Amino acid sequence: MPQCDGFVPPKGIYSHISGIDLVQAKDKTWYILEDNLRIPSGASYPLIARKLCRLASPETFSNNHVVANKTYPQMLKETMDNVNTGGLNVILTPGRYNAAFFEHSYLAEMTGSVLAMNNDLFVDNNNLFYKDNNGSAKRVGALYRRISDEFLDPMNFLPESLIGVPNLLTAYRSGNVAIINAPGNGVADDKGIYYFVPTMIKYYLDEEPILKNAPTYLMFDEKQRKQSLARMDELVFKDVSEAGGYGVVFGRELSQDKKTELAELIEEQPRRFVAQEIIDFIDLPILEDGKEVLRKADLRAFVLAGATTKVWPCGLTRFSRNPTSFIVNSSQGGGFKDTWVLSR
Amino acid sequence: MGIISLEKQDHLFWLGRYCERVYTTIRTFLLGYDRMLDDENSGYKAICQMLDIPDIYKDEEDFIKTYVYSSKDVNSIYSNLRRAYDNAIVLRDEISSISLSYIQMALDDMEEYSNKPFSLLQLQLIIDLLLAFWGSVDVYVLSDNSRDLIKCGRSLERLDLYIRLGYPKERLAREFHMFETRMGRISPLQYNFEAYNTFSTAMRNKAVLKQQLDTLNKIFVRR
Repeated sequence: MPQCDGFVPPKGIYSHISGIDLVQAKDKTWYILEDNLRIPSGASYPLIARKLCRLASPETFSNNHVVANKTYPQMLKETMDNVNTGGLNVILTPGRYNAAFFEHSYLAEMTGSVLAMNNDLFVDNNNLFYKDNNGSAKRVGALYRRISDEFLDPMNFLPESLIGVPNLLTAYRSGNVAIINAPGNGVADDKGIYYFVPTMIKYYLDEEPILKNAPTYLMFDEKQRKQSLARMDELVFKDVSEAGGYGVVFGRELSQDKKTELAELIEEQPRRFVAQEIIDFIDLPILEDGKEVLRKADLRAFVLAGATTKVWPCGLTRFSRNPTSFIVNSSQGGGFKDTWVLSR
Repeated sequence: MGIISLEKQDHLFWLGRYCERVYTTIRTFLLGYDRMLDDENSGYKAICQMLDIPDIYKDEEDFIKTYVYSSKDVNSIYSNLRRAYDNAIVLRDEISSISLSYIQMALDDMEEYSNKPFSLLQLQLIIDLLLAFWGSVDVYVLSDNSRDLIKCGRSLERLDLYIRLGYPKERLAREFHMFETRMGRISPLQYNFEAYNTFSTAMRNKAVLKQQLDTLNKIFVRR
């Protein structure tokens, strides 16, 4: 993203909130399936689910040693305060019809931040301000935006965006406001970059990665492409430009014609795809129509980078509602449940 | 917290208005329904007249089903509760999840009751939830300004309805006093001072109050 090129955000933090998607294979090995460094969502759901469960069944929690998850709002506030350049903490939402609006408003309530829409904000003299009802303006020091980069600022990104704040990026590049997470982070959670993460860990930290990546093949590497296309039935192909479970194709589920079509597309646009070994990850019990059934489930862990980097002792467990599907994303009909971290 | 945008100011004010509209119209409906039990001449048309709403209903049964629960009737109790909810849902960070939940529960209950045989107790439960909402506003809305704005909306709606429903002068005076007290706590920049002044003068003469309803409703129109 050229607009962000060469700019170091406040305190050098790019990914304030990271959502790391993990799966556990049937041999109990954990794999990282995806890093979400743009606007990972979902922390509010286990938060509210836990609160309701504790009301409905307090004995469940007095009989089990479950680590409290109510620390998330405080962790998030500290993360915002840490990079705040002097002013309000604001959560920017595209509005109530956004699928994650509950999360935006709930986190604003829980962190004591101001929930704002774009019309409440303006940039003047390279500073971001919140307009109040008395006609005065309060400076914004940290903006937790829940809007994708391309819609964030019509003057610098998509001019047709009606949900962005004009010149926000200019205020950001002047160092006058922190944006959480930093615009341009998509370069780091691109599925094509995922392949290189273990190498980056070794290079920058001189450490062996603790968690494994799912074995991944780059389609722009001729040798890997040929090998992958020769065994399409055994692999899952992912479009690196897609998210939310879209653009994920299991070779074994395709007809011969569709396989040929996909192979041709990959040959034409190899940078757009990666292939991965299918990890047969575990099924977890869920309730469906009052009955317990087993469904594929993954875990999104939340890592917050403030003055120190902390992992939230909870997470979002996402499951597929379709008994034959591996896709757990809520945008594809998946469900969620709370995640217990036990203290013993 | 404590800093709100013009957009939120509008939502707070209208949240107060619609909650009060639901509350007072339920009370009025219950009163009219009670009269209908004893008086053959006091049918549903009398309630329409009392509430100052157009009679678009086929018969008494249709009136109860439609006026109370229908989403298609713009004057229905359900429609007004829906509008209260539409304002509340964008104010979670101001009014708290707890306060919001009472409006959500009232709406959920109304939707559930709409598929069941009508009973007056259903409306009593909605009243209970609205009263719980107002209690919650006092406890959980931390910003004085936000609380005052919701209550200004409530007082203004009460005045509007009480004038339409022909409430006695003393009752109107009491409500107006409460309204003035609330208004005194918020900045004159937040409302139309001129309209407020005109209505305030008109309050001295109950006979002309109905003609001043427009002025009353302009007090919080954004300039």
